[in-house]
Amino acid sequence: MLRNRTRVSCALALTFTLCAALTGCGGGEGGGSGGKVTLRFTWWGNPDRAARTEAAIKLFEKKNPAIRISTSFAGFDAYKQKLATQAAGGDAPDVMQLDYRMINQYADGGVLLDLGRHKELRTSEMDKGLLATGVVNDRQYAIPVARGSETVVYDSVLWRKAGVPEPKLGWTWDDWADAMRKLSRSKAVEDAGRVGGTDPGQSEDVFEIWLRGQGKVLYTDDYRLGFTADDLARYWEWCSGLRKEGAVSPAEQTTQMDGSVENTPLGRLKAVSDFNWDAPASGFPAIVGEGVKLAPMPAGEDGTPGQYYKPSMFFGASAKTGHPKEAARFIDFLLNDPEAGAILGNTRGIPANDSIRKAVTPKLEGFDVVVSTYQKQFEGKLKDPPPAPPKGDASLQTTFSRDYDQVSFERMSPREAAENYVTEAKAELRQ
Amino acid sequence: MTATATRPQPAPASAGRTGKRPPKREREGAAWVFLSPWVLGACVLTLLPMAVSLYLSFTNYDMFNDPSWVGFRNYVQMFTEDPRFWRSVTSTLTYVVIAVPLQLALALAVAIALKSVKRGKGFYRSAFYAPSLLGASMSVALVWRAIFNDGGTVDNLLSWFGLDIGGWVNKPGWALVAVALLTVWQFGAPMVIFLAGLQQIPGELYEAAAMDGAGWWRQFRSITLPMLSPVLFFNLVLQTIQAFQVFTPAFAVSGGKGGPADSTLFYTLYLYDRGFTASHMGYASAMAWVLLVAIGIVTAVLFRTSRSWVFYANDDNEGAR
Amino acid sequence: MTTVDTTRAVATGRAAGGRRPRPARIALHAVLIAVLLVMLYPLAWLIATSFKPADEVIASLKLLPSHLEWSNYSTALDGVNEVSVGRLLWNSLLIAGGAVLGNVISCSLAAYAFARLRFRMRGPLFAFMIATIMLPHHAVLIPQYIVFNQLGMVNTYWPMILPKFLATDAFFVFLIVQFMRSLPRELEEAARIDGCGPFRSFFSVILPLTRPALITTAIFTFIWTWNDFFTQLIYLFEPEKFTLTLALRSFVDASSQSAFGPMFAMSVFALLPIVLFFLAFQRFLVEGMANSGLKG
Repeated sequence: MLRNRTRVSCALALTFTLCAALTGCGGGEGGGSGGKVTLRFTWWGNPDRAARTEAAIKLFEKKNPAIRISTSFAGFDAYKQKLATQAAGGDAPDVMQLDYRMINQYADGGVLLDLGRHKELRTSEMDKGLLATGVVNDRQYAIPVARGSETVVYDSVLWRKAGVPEPKLGWTWDDWADAMRKLSRSKAVEDAGRVGGTDPGQSEDVFEIWLRGQGKVLYTDDYRLGFTADDLARYWEWCSGLRKEGAVSPAEQTTQMDGSVENTPLGRLKAVSDFNWDAPASGFPAIVGEGVKLAPMPAGEDGTPGQYYKPSMFFGASAKTGHPKEAARFIDFLLNDPEAGAILGNTRGIPANDSIRKAVTPKLEGFDVVVSTYQKQFEGKLKDPPPAPPKGDASLQTTFSRDYDQVSFERMSPREAAENYVTEAKAELRQ
Repeated sequence: MTATATRPQPAPASAGRTGKRPPKREREGAAWVFLSPWVLGACVLTLLPMAVSLYLSFTNYDMFNDPSWVGFRNYVQMFTEDPRFWRSVTSTLTYVVIAVPLQLALALAVAIALKSVKRGKGFYRSAFYAPSLLGASMSVALVWRAIFNDGGTVDNLLSWFGLDIGGWVNKPGWALVAVALLTVWQFGAPMVIFLAGLQQIPGELYEAAAMDGAGWWRQFRSITLPMLSPVLFFNLVLQTIQAFQVFTPAFAVSGGKGGPADSTLFYTLYLYDRGFTASHMGYASAMAWVLLVAIGIVTAVLFRTSRSWVFYANDDNEGAR
Repeated sequence: MTTVDTTRAVATGRAAGGRRPRPARIALHAVLIAVLLVMLYPLAWLIATSFKPADEVIASLKLLPSHLEWSNYSTALDGVNEVSVGRLLWNSLLIAGGAVLGNVISCSLAAYAFARLRFRMRGPLFAFMIATIMLPHHAVLIPQYIVFNQLGMVNTYWPMILPKFLATDAFFVFLIVQFMRSLPRELEEAARIDGCGPFRSFFSVILPLTRPALITTAIFTFIWTWNDFFTQLIYLFEPEKFTLTLALRSFVDASSQSAFGPMFAMSVFALLPIVLFFLAFQRFLVEGMANSGLKG
């Protein structure tokens, strides 16, 4: 009996200690010590980006002693859900890093602050077309941080071994398809157990570039579908044809793509090339070898370029922030301050700010040089990027690859799947 | 609910002093004292969010704008206009039927075997539990994909026996089985619960039975199974509920897509997709309530059948069934 | 399935107290080890992959790496430098410890009421409790977040611990209920005749006898809380408050340049504390009835 009582009191004592420890830890809320303003800032990224961002923040706090920045970051998928939950709970951080596909939804839902009204935030050194991607309903809700572009990543060693001429600026989709066929038939590629490239049918991004090459768009400016079921059926029939010929990856390989470089057919050493964004392609050399090169995306038959400079990420501020001025000043610092630019380098992609980009470029190393050189060749040659996609696009992107899965596993014809997709997309965009 | 929670509670201290069975009212008061943390948690942290989600299921809530009432539209749309919803129902049911019995059978078999092992008990227990320590993280998923992929270990092993499947995780028909096996592999939790249940069976029962000349099968049938039945029932109910809600293994193995060709797009995976990717939180809430009703029916059936096979010691506990 | 039957046979044979012949014992071990080998193979793969160089992580179908790539581990740990590992470990222990305490206390209290006491609405309330685990948690995530936000508990450890003290884990309530219900009623009757009220008989009769269930609850709560990346992710903001699991996942979950090698290293690293925990505490799983003794 006595033993039990001591045990119970022990447990109780422990409970109280724990509660005390917890409240002690939770005590740091608010952070308004001595009239200091605290801004919460979140982003997604990797340790390198974290280290550089921390260094830049230290500099900012030194220059603005009245502002403290409290930071937090996570991997992209985790970040997306955390931010959505916070925003829905009315608790979005003061300053946040945003993805192209989040802009419309967050702006439309009243989460974002109209940054255009804050003069502290200068945008004069940014390309007008790029800047416009952060505009929703004539308000500048987000500012692009950096830019990227789609590319054909390829293993140049194997490509040359197969005796196929290497791709160059201005090649068309027909040239690309021919190259895929020749590669897949060549002995070198066949011996390696590979095919020419990734089946582009599952990628909404590639489809958009294909469309743009024909002078069409994915979404019109008033957020309706910019193409018809016929266009999509034509695209998927063409992809399916190449797949059946064995020119591009089979369904079993294509379906395993999950956004990581490692799980692309090229990353699994089952293909010679892949469609990807230029910056993430830096993951390939470690897997495929040093022969990895970036080629321009194929153009339309009349040479119309489909690819564009896409803002790789944005900064935005919360509409509910208590300190909009300070938030604007902080974003301005990250984007426009030369010292900050030097610290951050291109850890978020090739900087969107023209003068910072020029200052940073000579100091680049490794794969950053490849990306920078790759982007340079398009300077002044590409069309303006489309405005940020409508909010329904976040789910349509997945639907696109899901519907193509139905095609590539031969459960639906391209025509049937295309009709399905267009019906769903129209419903999605109406909402 | 709140009415019962705030009911004045009679002082329990005097209960039991009399040495006789305390009056009913006092015993009822004691029950509410024991229940008080649960009642508080249920009201604030469970009932309130549940009520909100029920309300949201009748709205077009998109997480960012204020919800507006749409009546039964979400429910109607789900049952009549959404082929992917039905695909998710089919694959979830298939998964439940494969994963639950396999996992429970394996857990029970290992638990019973471990009970009789004398040497290395701790080692075996830890080793069998080890996979369950991992949870279903990204790296576990990648391992699973490596093993069940084209040219992977399982594929090579099967081809020795002349079976050429050419990978499981990348084939619509087989991916679901691979995901189910991931769950089966992590049978540690039910195993430990079985072990704890076996601990509680008094050894005297076996001794007496052995003296009566009962063989192992008789003992298993007439002692182990009935004595273990409350725990077996617990595992059956909980694993079934969890299997209906299977999310992480499929999410991880298929990279969040539920592929190939929607074959592992389980119910909660699709719900998550609707709610957080497409931000149709109203629709996702409706899906959640449909699932709740479906699981509720299955569980009620399990509870009903339990009367005929679950054995409680001297139980007068009809109410809790 | 035949293995199942033979092990059962052997198992119950042993339990009967009869001396099992040596070959049967050896056969039992052989079967167990064979099953174990199959089960531990993926685990071996996981550990081996954490030592693979980048080009072998996915593309290679061999179990063993061509050479040991230690840099995966240094990369994984580099990212965490910002906050000391000791601090992260302490944070994790605080949360997991609080959760264990909360669950053991509150779930056993509620379970006792459901299993042994009579009160109005017991049936419906029990059904409601089971129903609370039937709603997918994604559907209540946002309402719950709003509740904790209103309570001013976001970015503290309360959202991870408070629910445990309020017995919201119906899994464990139900588990303990099932264990309590299989205890013979005579024990309490005897206690009652000795003058024990429901509180005394709970603390001195029922609780000691439910030890296997309580230990199971404690161990599961610890492991599941430790691994619960999701709740920690949603509710914690400042890196100083991060747990080990959250920090490792966040710092290594690279966005653009995905790095699978360090991710595997991170998994192995994050696994170590709970492996140690399990090894230390699993032995309590056996000491149930044997010591506390139904006979007593």
